[in-house]
Amino acid sequence: MSDNLQHEDRLFEVLARQPDEEGSERAPSRLKAKLYTSLVQKQQESGRLRTLAETRANGHGLCVFEDLWSRVTSSEAARSFNCCSVCHARLLAEHWEAAPIYWGHCPYVAFGKK
Amino acid sequence: MNQGPGTCQAKESSAGANQLSDQNLVAEVLRKDRKATAEFVARYADHVYWYVRRRLVPRADLVDDLVQEIFVAAWENLDKFRGDSPLRSWLLGIARHKVEDHYRKRLREIQFHDEEENAWDEPASLHDLEAALAKRQAGQRTQEILKTLPEMYSVILLWRYWEKRSLRDIAAQIGKTEKGVERMVARARQQFKKRWYERQSPARG
Repeated sequence: MSDNLQHEDRLFEVLARQPDEEGSERAPSRLKAKLYTSLVQKQQESGRLRTLAETRANGHGLCVFEDLWSRVTSSEAARSFNCCSVCHARLLAEHWEAAPIYWGHCPYVAFGKK
Repeated sequence: MNQGPGTCQAKESSAGANQLSDQNLVAEVLRKDRKATAEFVARYADHVYWYVRRRLVPRADLVDDLVQEIFVAAWENLDKFRGDSPLRSWLLGIARHKVEDHYRKRLREIQFHDEEENAWDEPASLHDLEAALAKRQAGQRTQEILKTLPEMYSVILLWRYWEKRSLRDIAAQIGKTEKGVERMVARARQQFKKRWYERQSPARG
């Protein structure tokens, strides 16, 4: 490589190290919603999810639908059911940025928070 | 809930506390706790997205799919996470592999053309570029220029300089000679400089 090309090569190495403010660009909440949905689907492929009761006992809050579901069901399989899979909040969150979901402990609400 | 990396408690304690927090989170995700899984996404999606978006410029249309691939790969390999490094670094390692897979695939698909190569009267000095680097003002403009470059040029520049891959490595991965890759990189640099110079002196354009 000639001296000029070597100099240019080094210049581009420096250019690539220039600071570029991380945090100026957040992942869209729609993408986070889709990531969460696909991860939970993947988890279900290899067996049941942790039951809602165990999740609550571990210190996590349940959303209003999960809470209701955990109270009216008795079998382990039912308590592991992924309520989000049939919830309109999931559909809203996967298609709208900052979807209008207002109840607490819904993961899709958290994804929209700054 | 685990303490996030940005909390006061985390700041007060050692780096080990952050790692423990990561390990707790990983353990809960592996137990298929849906809320922990949501926390995993909420905590790390921004970092992975930011990295992938910077590395796939100008192909913003591919970012979401690649981020999704990265998180699925992370889930499939999460039991291998040992906590030797922060979870964020581990995830970005997976992201880097995926990005390089993308580069390899694209450079094998795209044909390099010599168009425009000789159509520009290159200034003798790289003074503008050097001055911007000295003032640390080049970051934003660099991103803007990478967005306007043809994909073949941005891919080879990002791979060579941002991912710090040697010409030999790249050549081996795309089945070309080292000399051939050196020419590709030189052409890409020339196109980058041309755009840099045009932005600096529009009248010359």
